Amino acid sequence: MPSGYHGCYLRIDVSDGSADRVPLPAGVLRRFLGGAGLGAWLLARESGACPDPLAAGAPLIFVFSPLVGSPLTTSAKFAVVSRSPLTGRINDSLASSGFALAGKRCGCDAIVVVGRAATLSVLVIDDGRVRLDAGGDLRGATCGAAEKTLRTRLGPDYKIATIGPAGERLVRYATISHDGRHAGRGGSGTVLGSKNLKAMAVRGTRYVAWAHPRELTERSRQLSKRSFGPATAKYRELGTAANLLTFNRFGALPTRNFQTGTFDAAAQVSAEQIRATHTRTRASCAACTIGCEHIYSMEDGAGTRLEYESLFALGPLCGVGDPDAVLRASKLCDELGIDTISVGGTIAFAMECVERGWLDEPWLTFGRGESVLRAIELAGRREGVGRLLAEGSRRAAEAIGHESIRFAPQVKGLEIPGYEPRALQTMALGFAVGTRGADHNRSGAYEVDFSDAVDRRRVTVDAVRHAIDTEDRAALMDSLILCKFLRGVFEDFYGEAAEMLNLVTGWDTSAAELRRAAKGIVHAKREFNRRVGWTPAEDTLPERFLQGALPNDPAAALSRERLRTVVDEYHRQRGCEEPSPAIDNASA
Amino acid sequence: MAAAMQVELLGIPRQRAGVAQIEIEAATLGQLLDALAARYPSLADLVSAGPAGRLGPFVAANLNGDRFVSDPRTRLAETDRVLILSADAGG
Repeated sequence: MPSGYHGCYLRIDVSDGSADRVPLPAGVLRRFLGGAGLGAWLLARESGACPDPLAAGAPLIFVFSPLVGSPLTTSAKFAVVSRSPLTGRINDSLASSGFALAGKRCGCDAIVVVGRAATLSVLVIDDGRVRLDAGGDLRGATCGAAEKTLRTRLGPDYKIATIGPAGERLVRYATISHDGRHAGRGGSGTVLGSKNLKAMAVRGTRYVAWAHPRELTERSRQLSKRSFGPATAKYRELGTAANLLTFNRFGALPTRNFQTGTFDAAAQVSAEQIRATHTRTRASCAACTIGCEHIYSMEDGAGTRLEYESLFALGPLCGVGDPDAVLRASKLCDELGIDTISVGGTIAFAMECVERGWLDEPWLTFGRGESVLRAIELAGRREGVGRLLAEGSRRAAEAIGHESIRFAPQVKGLEIPGYEPRALQTMALGFAVGTRGADHNRSGAYEVDFSDAVDRRRVTVDAVRHAIDTEDRAALMDSLILCKFLRGVFEDFYGEAAEMLNLVTGWDTSAAELRRAAKGIVHAKREFNRRVGWTPAEDTLPERFLQGALPNDPAAALSRERLRTVVDEYHRQRGCEEPSPAIDNASA
Repeated sequence: MAAAMQVELLGIPRQRAGVAQIEIEAATLGQLLDALAARYPSLADLVSAGPAGRLGPFVAANLNGDRFVSDPRTRLAETDRVLILSADAGG
């Protein structure tokens, strides 16, 4: 077994509390590495014929990686992999910090949870020993309150991942929260809630060896030093929220449910303005030297993290230009445990339906921060119109009718992040083909749009290879796992990744092998989707984006034919026509 | 002959320079970036040349909101409006 791994995963059936250690073949680890890659392999292995992401038999998989626990900056991360209750397709969401470190110290490279507890419970894994504690007293607790209670109850050694009220109520885009951060997209928290688990608590003492510890320590020191440089300045100095004014300038800021790409009140909710008017502190994940988290004080004195995606989704997308309302909304999402992009997208969609007279909720109108807050609360608790909002925009559109699906802001059921597809058309391709739906973390194609490699408002087949490159790089980063905010630090990412991986594992992998591994991981995800019903027709965008130009930019038009051309070329280059054996033969 | 043109700063370049818009005389993109670094030393590490003499990996340059450029030899016209932004546009 290579260094850096335990060589097994822990399989827990919470229906009866049983647990087994299942060996992981060395060949699987070498091809799928960890994180999202190993998770895709495990999901295929563990899913069987289970048709429903929320069925008791459906697996929820927490995956670590060979780099977790090493001194490499940003490596304290874990992936949560399952079928998504929003999309029905593969979902892999990532989060950071102590849970990854403590989880791996339980003596396994992944934790597979199946079954359903009889009552609301807390899954406790103490150095590999498994038990279910009663969790009924935590029912209804916010993510933060539940984590705090359990930390007091179990002790500070335990690292705790929880769901909020939204996960308990099976809101389809519920998150899993740890230390204020979230495995946010696709409904991982919904799946945990479906297993009647309020939380998981882990601690352990089982460390893995590193193949070349002295060289690894020196390599880590160098990487940390580079991580303080200009490549990460944006994250340290303004945070991702810096995107907002830039995107607005380029007419690419989704506004009022993607009806336009500029927002009149953008300056009011910009990172620059919020920083000027609110007290700010910075924080970082465990084992991270970047410190990208900008925590802003609110009117009541509490603080909340604010990222671009939350800012755009709860602000401009809903027409809200009140920064305090956006901060409160972001905080409320964190407490309830819901994905800010999906809830913002679904609320904005509902607001447009109200505007068109198709939904009788006259209070739910664009531009009102109080309406957004009320809608989040209702969605998170599945009350009133919240029962509809909790289903996500695709299912809400199916319920509302009137062909509103044409402007439901989703791909495969996952709400679209803050990149206007007509203004950023390589990203439009990335959204259309994403295995977990519209996603900016699995495709970095927006980087191509913000370069001289393409015309961002007129995508051609030349953009496809660039989009594939960003997808492959993301797949590798999500499997190693390293934070994507490091990506600008590397001059030769694949070469440096191979070097780091070899120092940890003792392998002799190369840049070329990791490029193949990255493609194999993307193939594995696509193959899983194909097995659960994916067809090429799914790889598209809502009608809104394929009919006419953006009102704010006549040059930003994306036709159905042009999107089809690049998607078909993507499928051709990926080799999507034929079933892939990638998931099955890796263990050979 | 160098022409004076409007330069918009976005993201970290704006934050560090403390201004959103300035006027700079330059005939090429490279000259513009040199002038920018001279006027605002806090931008120097961001706008330095990258691999193969092209615009470095930390900022991007765009003409008039339309076309991104990275070759320092790119000729600029007086009517151009040059946008300088953080290269890592996503989040």
